[in-house]
Amino acid sequence: MTSTDMTSQNQDELRLFRESVRTLFDRAGGVGRARKLRGAPQGWDAGLMRELAEAGAFGAAIPEKQGGLGMGLVAAGVVAEEAGRVLAPEPIVAMAGLTIGLLYRLCPAHAALSAALEGNSVLAPAWQERGPRGVAQTRACRYTDGKLDGRKAWVVGSRGASGYLVVAQGGAGPVLALVQKGAANLSIEERPQADGSVMAELAFNGTPAERLAEGAAVETALSEAVSDATALAAAELVGLSERAFEITLDYIKTREQFDKPIGAFQVLQHRAVDQRIMQEVAAAGIREALARMDQTNDPRQRARQASRAKARACVAARKITREAIQLHGAVGYTDEFDIGLYLNRALVLTAWLGDDVYHRRLWLEAREREEAA
Amino acid sequence: MTDWNQMSDAEFRKEVRRFFETEYPAELRNLSHRPKFAEIEHWHKKLHAKGWVAPAWPAEYGGMGLNAAKLLIFYEEQQRWGIVRGRDMGVQMVGPLIIKYGTQAQKDYWLPRILSCETIWCQGYSEPGAGSDLANLRTRAALEGDEFVINGQKIWTTMAHDSTHIFMLVRTDPNAPKKQQGISFLLARMDQPGITVRTIKTLAGEEEFCEVFLDNARTPRENLVGEMNKGWTMAKALLSFERIFIGSPNLAQNALIQLEGFARGRGAFEDPVFRDRFAQAALDVEDHAALYTRFADQLKRGETLGSDVSMLKIWVTETFQRITELMVEAAGPDGGTLGPLQVGNVGMDVLSSFYKARPTTIYGGANEIQRNILAKAVLELPD
Ligand SMILES: Cc1cc2nc3c(=O)[nH]c(=O)nc-3n(C[C@H](O)[C@H](O)[C@H](O)COP(=O)(O)OP(=O)(O)OC[C@H]3O[C@@H](n4cnc5c(N)ncnc54)[C@H](O)[C@@H]3O)c2cc1C
Repeated sequence: MTSTDMTSQNQDELRLFRESVRTLFDRAGGVGRARKLRGAPQGWDAGLMRELAEAGAFGAAIPEKQGGLGMGLVAAGVVAEEAGRVLAPEPIVAMAGLTIGLLYRLCPAHAALSAALEGNSVLAPAWQERGPRGVAQTRACRYTDGKLDGRKAWVVGSRGASGYLVVAQGGAGPVLALVQKGAANLSIEERPQADGSVMAELAFNGTPAERLAEGAAVETALSEAVSDATALAAAELVGLSERAFEITLDYIKTREQFDKPIGAFQVLQHRAVDQRIMQEVAAAGIREALARMDQTNDPRQRARQASRAKARACVAARKITREAIQLHGAVGYTDEFDIGLYLNRALVLTAWLGDDVYHRRLWLEAREREEAA
Repeated sequence: MTDWNQMSDAEFRKEVRRFFETEYPAELRNLSHRPKFAEIEHWHKKLHAKGWVAPAWPAEYGGMGLNAAKLLIFYEEQQRWGIVRGRDMGVQMVGPLIIKYGTQAQKDYWLPRILSCETIWCQGYSEPGAGSDLANLRTRAALEGDEFVINGQKIWTTMAHDSTHIFMLVRTDPNAPKKQQGISFLLARMDQPGITVRTIKTLAGEEEFCEVFLDNARTPRENLVGEMNKGWTMAKALLSFERIFIGSPNLAQNALIQLEGFARGRGAFEDPVFRDRFAQAALDVEDHAALYTRFADQLKRGETLGSDVSMLKIWVTETFQRITELMVEAAGPDGGTLGPLQVGNVGMDVLSSFYKARPTTIYGGANEIQRNILAKAVLELPD
């Protein structure tokens, strides 16, 4: 089944869902919030987190019996797209894809899952480690007898989080462990990002941690959760690109030079058309990828679709946000105009969870494996 | 006074290199931001004492009087050693304007002050309604007795908040039949009640350009440069100089060196895809430099440059952008991180290079405008 076979009932449901999420974001202040919350100590709006949770935003893809909406990744993608449109600083994809993705697969009965689904607590997922040349291929962070030692990098959502969900190496395979924010022997280094958020680097040194799960299941759940989050980050980029393009289109219709709107110049018309085509291709590709992920349990096929989505989303967002600056002229290079915020957020979302080059490689490898099988 | 042009190219290069390498303050090498004057004053003093502030000006006005060939060598060495561009609007734009169109009194008064940086200049051309369509400018200047009274607004004025003077294009004849007519060139001091400056933050978070509000600002009549209502032609002449300057390979060459260092440190050269993209960028830089040399040779032979010089700016700025994009790509998961990224023992600020490259396709005549010029003036395409 492809997205075009989807029943119209599903489509209606998704449309209504999109409207309710969009209304929430707009009422909260739209993109103005992103500007206001840059560099804020909390980093996001806790009240809005709860409102989003009430609307089912974090559990859209989670089965109903585990407290979610059971609407699949396509619905989670709708939330991510809408978050992207207003550059929401809340760690929505990190929560929905990774934190909740890990908890519901590994310890559905734990109170952390319901707290996360209700928007009452944010646990920032910490699974990657820094190697000499980017993401380390092996896991050095260790869990022993209720304590963690080692480091984690690129942790999103650290600022307002109440704790961390850490994947470490234990005696019997990988461990999912919960660390409280104020835990002893935990040091946090913040790295400022282009969009005004921070990514944290965590250092554990005998840091107390609660073991939530252990064994091979942790590895499987992690790669599934990473696939989900990757596809959802792609959806967030699609929403971001869509809005960036709308802003640009409005601008070239109204900005006048040489006694006419600059959008009257054919070269700009063609550029705008190319951006629109890129946007449509990206939106179609990514929504289809999410739908396919909902239709299969095969982790490899799901990973392949996630890579497809992120690869396209990065390319589209890069083209659209960079051309947006150019078509705005000097105002595009200011902090005062919103369009620059879109460029900056796209930089961060592109780098997070792998850029297009990385995902094209994974996609091709996955395709070759599937065809060989 | 030394006649530098008498030296062999090699001798001259050696001399310039020696001076830069021994005298240039280490902490100012390869600055990533646009410094305020106070930050580079000690270097400027050295240059001034040496008589090297204005390499292109004729020696009689306190310049080095370099011919085109020597000038290129000077700039190359400047770039090679990562020497700051400094606050050079006065030297690059106001000086040449006054030398070409100014009165003797203007030359005597302004040129030494530009060299000593007693006056620091900003360029007041653009306005909210006059960007690419510069001739649409509305800022009015009217003569009242011995003074011009100026009303209007300038925008994107780089470093206006750290300048003592502004050179600007203003409308002196609002009734002229064409908008290119009735424009004049005025100099004015910034420090006066009629001028208010507001800095504008860039998307990189830096305070580099400004809005300048002119509300009954005043400047003496003798600060009109050239003929009244003939400012447009003079500005055009200056812009065409900017066009070769802005089309020089330096920015892209420096970025390429940075990219190579960064990418080697990060192991990106093991990736065949990256290798190819790097090689592409490197060849884009190298072949552009060849084209640049062709234009430079034209200058050296004393010929004037045609509109085709726009090609240089288009190519080099877009190459510069691609190179900095490759840097971001090579940064991988750190590609959204501000500030220096660690590679080996050094920190490299990838995003600051990326940001620096963005507006190069906008200022100095946006690339779309340059392409329009090429289409019309070089390819002679119909309207
Ligand atoms: C970092 C920076 C520093 C600057 N410093 C100074 C300074 O010190 N002093 C100063 O006076 N100015 C300065 N400027 C302003 C600069 O000269 C203008 O940005 C430039 O002229 C473009 O004008 P604009 O920004 O109004 O864009 P617009 O003219 O509004 O153009 C917007 C977009 O439309 C396109 N466009 C416009 N007309 C056409 C056409 N006919 N055909 C096709 N496309 C078209 C442009 O190429 C651009 O992509 C600076 C700008 C920047 C970004």
